[in-house]
Amino acid sequence: MALILSGDEEQFRDSVRRVVVERSPLSKLRELMSSGQPYDADVWKQLSELGLPGLVIPEEHGGAEAGYSVLSVALGELGAGLVASPLLAGTLAAGALLRLGDEAAQARLLPGIASGELIATLASGGTGTARADGDTLTGEISPVLNAAQARVLLVPAVDGPAEDGPAEDGPAEDGRATVLFEVDAAAPGVTITPLPALDHSRSLARVTLDGAPGRRLDGDAAAALGFATDLANLALASEQLGAMAACLLMTAEYAKIRIAFGRPIGSFQGVKHRLAELWTTWELAQAALRDAARAADERPADFPRAALVARLAVSASYVDAAVATVQLHGGIGFTWEHDAHVYQKNAMSQHALFGGTDEQLDRLTALLGARG
Amino acid sequence: MSEQSVTDFRNRARAWLAENAPRRGAGDDESATRADLAAQKEFQAKLYDAGFAGLTWPREYGGQGLTNAEQIAFGQEARRYALPVGVFFIGLGMPGPTILELGTEEQKKRYLPKMLRGEEIWCQLFSEPAAGSDVASLTTTAVRDGDEWVLDGQKVWTSGAQYSDYGAVLARTDPTVPKHNGITMFIVDMHAPGVTVRPLKVATGATPFNEVFFDQVRLPAGSVIGEVNDGWRAAVVMLRNERVNIGTMGAPRTSPLSYHSLSSLAAKQGNGADPGLSRKLAELYVRERSVSLFGQLLREEAMSGRDPGPRGSVAKLAGAELGTYASLVAADVLGPAVAASDSEEVREVLNAALSMPGSSVAGGTNEIQRNIIGERVLGLPKDPGVDRSTPFNQLRVGTMRKN
Repeated sequence: MALILSGDEEQFRDSVRRVVVERSPLSKLRELMSSGQPYDADVWKQLSELGLPGLVIPEEHGGAEAGYSVLSVALGELGAGLVASPLLAGTLAAGALLRLGDEAAQARLLPGIASGELIATLASGGTGTARADGDTLTGEISPVLNAAQARVLLVPAVDGPAEDGPAEDGPAEDGRATVLFEVDAAAPGVTITPLPALDHSRSLARVTLDGAPGRRLDGDAAAALGFATDLANLALASEQLGAMAACLLMTAEYAKIRIAFGRPIGSFQGVKHRLAELWTTWELAQAALRDAARAADERPADFPRAALVARLAVSASYVDAAVATVQLHGGIGFTWEHDAHVYQKNAMSQHALFGGTDEQLDRLTALLGARG
Repeated sequence: MSEQSVTDFRNRARAWLAENAPRRGAGDDESATRADLAAQKEFQAKLYDAGFAGLTWPREYGGQGLTNAEQIAFGQEARRYALPVGVFFIGLGMPGPTILELGTEEQKKRYLPKMLRGEEIWCQLFSEPAAGSDVASLTTTAVRDGDEWVLDGQKVWTSGAQYSDYGAVLARTDPTVPKHNGITMFIVDMHAPGVTVRPLKVATGATPFNEVFFDQVRLPAGSVIGEVNDGWRAAVVMLRNERVNIGTMGAPRTSPLSYHSLSSLAAKQGNGADPGLSRKLAELYVRERSVSLFGQLLREEAMSGRDPGPRGSVAKLAGAELGTYASLVAADVLGPAVAASDSEEVREVLNAALSMPGSSVAGGTNEIQRNIIGERVLGLPKDPGVDRSTPFNQLRVGTMRKN
């Protein structure tokens, strides 16, 4: 179990980095901000040609079956460049389907996800729940990744009509199971409302279901959702680590050339120590991330814990680093033209999605307690 | 180095350790093992004779001429054991590698084999009362007298001085040039006339360190490590080794401040279910695990031929900050028992918490590590201090009160 990257992983990282630098520099995000497009279709095509949407999908379903460590490396590069794409949405949907084990659904959906042509998303990670009355779904879930572009929504729903009990009691009430449904985004009764997103690289929407038809999927939905949560931790931590490094390197570069009181501001300990502190946090989180990615590939039983450690190690620290990026740049860092605020918004948004700190710490406590 | 030969080596080490080394136990305590010098010397000699000492050192100086891969394999195999070799930790980790890198042929032949075989114990004499973080401001002097030198001054925070045979000491040999340019590193015989060692009592009440006084101590010809007035370079080599040593030690599961110990203590006290406290404990777990994984990453990088370089400072800083955080969590776990308790367990936790400066100050304070990380990892410019260009004898040093 090596934490260092293999030669292949380094090579793949470099090819993703090249696409990001050449095809999706931060100016691309600025273009999207003014055009209102959720992501650049050409960039998504490039990333699909590199195989990114199918990295963890088996070859029999058209994927590359390259594994979670490679996925993590790729997401790190996309995170560093704040590349807008439906990759996370599709990856979580694919992860849930793989764990669920409904073979018909896998054969129906995974090849499209793997090629990048089918935009699918998992309606999870925010707040709200849906209920299933037979194969009809009602409820509201928000915010959902790329829901406004998705053709297929995977919707977790509590099995049983709402009038049987108070909806506020949550999914576990009456011991009723959670089931995963495949919902056609264009079906009647499905309303998708794009929401103004804090982070311009994320397209998020509210999904409202009012008697919408769903296709019931076979398998252990709770396990599938649990895995999707772990995968979200790994994927977000990968993006966050990449973006945090970008913030710190950008700030360090500026601290070398910005002169105040006759010397570069990076020579002042107030600046130097803040950056050193954040870099130390980054180094530790990077090691934790490598471990989580390896666990996903090699030690599945250990993956939930390792993914929590990685996410907790980076999530709040990235917010800290992004805020420091604005602060250490001074006035220029507070302008619209500067990229600091784009990272700060990304950091705050990433930190809020798929479980806040307390929720994650409580999950970790439960896992550690169970392990003894 | 082929993978097969590393595997063979690992198997040989595993078998030897199982046969000869004491298992790690809950009650392991470095000071207790240190008391038994004779036993430690005997064990180090056994290690040496079995071919497990100085793994990466050249054969002509008593080493095994192996690679980092074997070194790491041995470390992994030895983790389950409490090897009684604590008194050699400093010599083999710092003065040893420095002599190997900068010493003369005579010095290497004379000192290294005996160091490896545990026949002679070494200490390191850098810090002074007026020169800690800024160790280049040291005022201990060595004055040339024919072929010999005469050493005068005071050192502090010297671990193991009371039982050391030799020390690597930094002294000022030219006060008329800027501070970094007038320092020389010497080998000093700790049994020589004029050397006085006194125990130094620290905040916990224990005496893990010493003060060392030099009064007209004569250093024979051939005592200089490296070049005269080039001692700063030797010191940098040695400090780099020290940081890697301190940073990658890691807190064992049995440390009173580990997640494992503190969560057990919380459960025993009945406050383990408190959500605020359990979150802090989980956060401690995250930090402890990350520091340990970072240590593993550095070791893997070293094994694949990448020098950890200044990132040893990241490990050192992270380890020290982990300890500080663990101390805060420990206080939350203990509650009012922090103020008074007759429990031995509580005293152990408090002792560990109060010992934290042992990692956050020793081997370069956290603040110095942040300078190193900022300057040598992130490439930020150095502070343009006057101390780098002013002759030492015109510089203000130490603690100065306005009167």
